[in-house]
Amino acid sequence: MKRYFRELSVVGALGVGLLGLAIFAPAFFQPQPLLSLVTREAPTLVVACGMAFVIICRQIDISVGSMFSVCSVCAGLLAARGWPLLLVLPAAVALGALLGAVNGLLVAGLRLPSIVVTLATMVTLRQGLNLVRQGEFVNLPDRVQWFGLSQTAGQLVLVAGAVALLVALGLAMRHLAAGRFVYAVGTDAEAARLAGIRPQLVTFLVFGFVGALTGLAAMMNLAQSPQVQPLSGLGLELKVIAAVVVGGVAISGGRGNLWGAFAGLLLLACVAPALTHLHIEAYWEKAIQGAIILLAVVADGVRSRKGGTG
Amino acid sequence: MKSLLPRLGLIATVLFAGLVTASAADSKLVVALLPKSKGNAYFLSCKNGADKAAKELGIELLFDGPTDSNAAKQNEIVENWITLGVDVIAVAAENKEGISTALRKAQKQGIKVITYDADSMPDSRSFFVNQATPQGIGYGLMDEAARLAGGEGEFAMITASLTAANQREWQKYIEARLKEKYPKMKLVAVRPCDDLKDKAQSEATALMSANPNLKLIMAICSPGVPGAAEAVKQAGKTGKVKVVGLGLPNENKRYVHGGVTDSVILWNTEHLGYLTVYAGTALAKGTLKPGAKTFKAGTLGEFQIQGDNILLGTPFIFNRGNIDQFDF
Repeated sequence: MKRYFRELSVVGALGVGLLGLAIFAPAFFQPQPLLSLVTREAPTLVVACGMAFVIICRQIDISVGSMFSVCSVCAGLLAARGWPLLLVLPAAVALGALLGAVNGLLVAGLRLPSIVVTLATMVTLRQGLNLVRQGEFVNLPDRVQWFGLSQTAGQLVLVAGAVALLVALGLAMRHLAAGRFVYAVGTDAEAARLAGIRPQLVTFLVFGFVGALTGLAAMMNLAQSPQVQPLSGLGLELKVIAAVVVGGVAISGGRGNLWGAFAGLLLLACVAPALTHLHIEAYWEKAIQGAIILLAVVADGVRSRKGGTG
Repeated sequence: MKSLLPRLGLIATVLFAGLVTASAADSKLVVALLPKSKGNAYFLSCKNGADKAAKELGIELLFDGPTDSNAAKQNEIVENWITLGVDVIAVAAENKEGISTALRKAQKQGIKVITYDADSMPDSRSFFVNQATPQGIGYGLMDEAARLAGGEGEFAMITASLTAANQREWQKYIEARLKEKYPKMKLVAVRPCDDLKDKAQSEATALMSANPNLKLIMAICSPGVPGAAEAVKQAGKTGKVKVVGLGLPNENKRYVHGGVTDSVILWNTEHLGYLTVYAGTALAKGTLKPGAKTFKAGTLGEFQIQGDNILLGTPFIFNRGNIDQFDF
C-alpha cells in the first residue's frame, strides 16, 4: 500500500474529480460520448507507456509528436494507395521504430543528451513533413475507419487494445528482466554496467521501442477518422510527458510505473470535457492542467527531500 | 587565434557588402510573405495567389513562417528579413501587439510593411489587406447559423485559440449580431481546439453531451469544421446538430456531401495572396499611397479601400451545390 502511495494519490484525485462530475454534471457519464472521448485518448495512452519507459531510463523523447505526425501521414498515404490495413499497421510500427532507433543511435551510440537529440529530430521531422505535405489533409478510403467494423466495435477494439498493451507492458516492466534493466539503467547506469547490464543497449532499445509504440498509436488514431491532418500529434510530447510525471514517474529516472502514468493521463484528459460539462470557461483548462503538474512535481520534491525511498 | 578573429570579421564584412551590392544591382523588388503557420493549407492557398502576382509583376517572393502558430517565431523571421534588407514585408499576425514592435523596426529601416489575414497594430503597417471585415465574417457566420437553426435554440462555438486576434474579432461580431438580431438563439460555450482537428472532435463531443439541446456547432478555425463534423457523425446526430464554419472546401467535402456540415464560409484565399503582393509592390513603388480610395490589382480589377483597409469583398458560402467547383 505504502509502496504505491504516489500512484494511489493520483487515482484518488481522479476519483474525487469523477465523483464531483457525477454529482454536478451526470451527463458526463453518457456511454456513447464517453466512449468516443476515451477512444480519442487511446493512442495517447500507448505513447504515454513508451514515454514512461524513456523517462524511467533517465532519458526524454520530445520528438514523439513529430514521429506521430510522420507515421500518421505515411500510413495514411499507404492506405490511400490501397494497401490492406494488415500491411499498413506493421509498416507504421516499423517506421516509428526506425525513427526511434535514429534517436537511440544518437543518444546511446554517440552519448549525446537526449533532450537535444530529440529536439533536433522533433523540428526536422515536423519541418520535413510540412515541406512535403504543405499541410494538406490525407483523405482515407472508407474501409479504414474503425478497421471496417461498426463504430462501437471499432472503438471498443481500440480501447481494449490500448488497455491490454498497458497491462502487458506494466507487468513486463515489473516482472521481466528486461523491464528491471530499464529501472537499473535509470537509477544508476554505472552500477547497472557493473552488474552486467549494457546501459547503452538498453537506452537504444528504449528509444526504438517508444518509436514503435508511437507508430502504433498513429495507426490507432488513423482508424478513428476518414482523414489525417498532418498537424495531428502536435503537442503530443507535452501531453504524455505531463501524464507520466503527474503519474509519479520521476523525471530523474529509475522510479515510477505505467499504472501511475495511466492515472495521470486520465486525470489530465478529464479536465477539458469536465470544464465543458460544468460550463466553466475554457481559459481555466490549461491553468488547471498546469496546476496539477506543479502539484505533482512539488509532491515529488517534498518526498525526495524527506529522503523517501520509492 | 586572437589576431585572426578581427581579420575574419573584416573578411565577412567585405563579403557581406559584396552580397548587398550584388542584390542591389539586379534590383528586383523583394516581397516577403509571412503566414501564421507555413504548413497550413489555408496559407499555402494564399501563397498560390501570391506566386501568380509575383510572376506577373516580375518581383521576387519570399515565403516563410512558423511551422505551428507561434508568435515569437514570427518576430524572429521578421528580424531576419530586416537584416536581409527585403523591400516589403507582408504579415498575417499571430499576436497583434507582439509582432508590432518588430514591424515598427522594419518601417524605420525603410521597409514597407503591410498586413493581411490578421492585422497588427495600425501604426506598425501602412495597409491591412482585409480578406473580409471582421464584421462581414461575424455577421455572415451568425446569419448562416441562424438560418440553419431556424432562428432559435442553443449553439456552441469552437475557436482556434482564445487569444488569436482575428478569432477574437470575429467572435465579437458574431456575438454582436446575435444580440441584435437573434434573441431566441443562445451561445452556450466557446471552446478552443489549438488548430487541431482531433482536439476539435473531442471538444465537440463533450459540447454535445454537456448541452443536450444543442442545435448547432459553429467552428471559426479551419481544422475545427471537419473535427466538429466527425464528432456529430460519431454521435449519430447528423442533421440534429448542424455544423457551420469557416474552413477550406477540400477538408469538408466529405461532410458536406454526407449532410453533416451544411455550409462552409470563406473568402477566396488565392485572391487574398494575389491582392497582398500587388498592394505591397505598389506601396514600394509609390503607386499606392495612404489616403487612396481604390486600388487596382492586376487581373482582379479594382478594390475598395476603407481608411487603411484594402477590402477583398464579401465572404463566400460553400455548400453541397457548389463545393466541388473548388479545389484547395
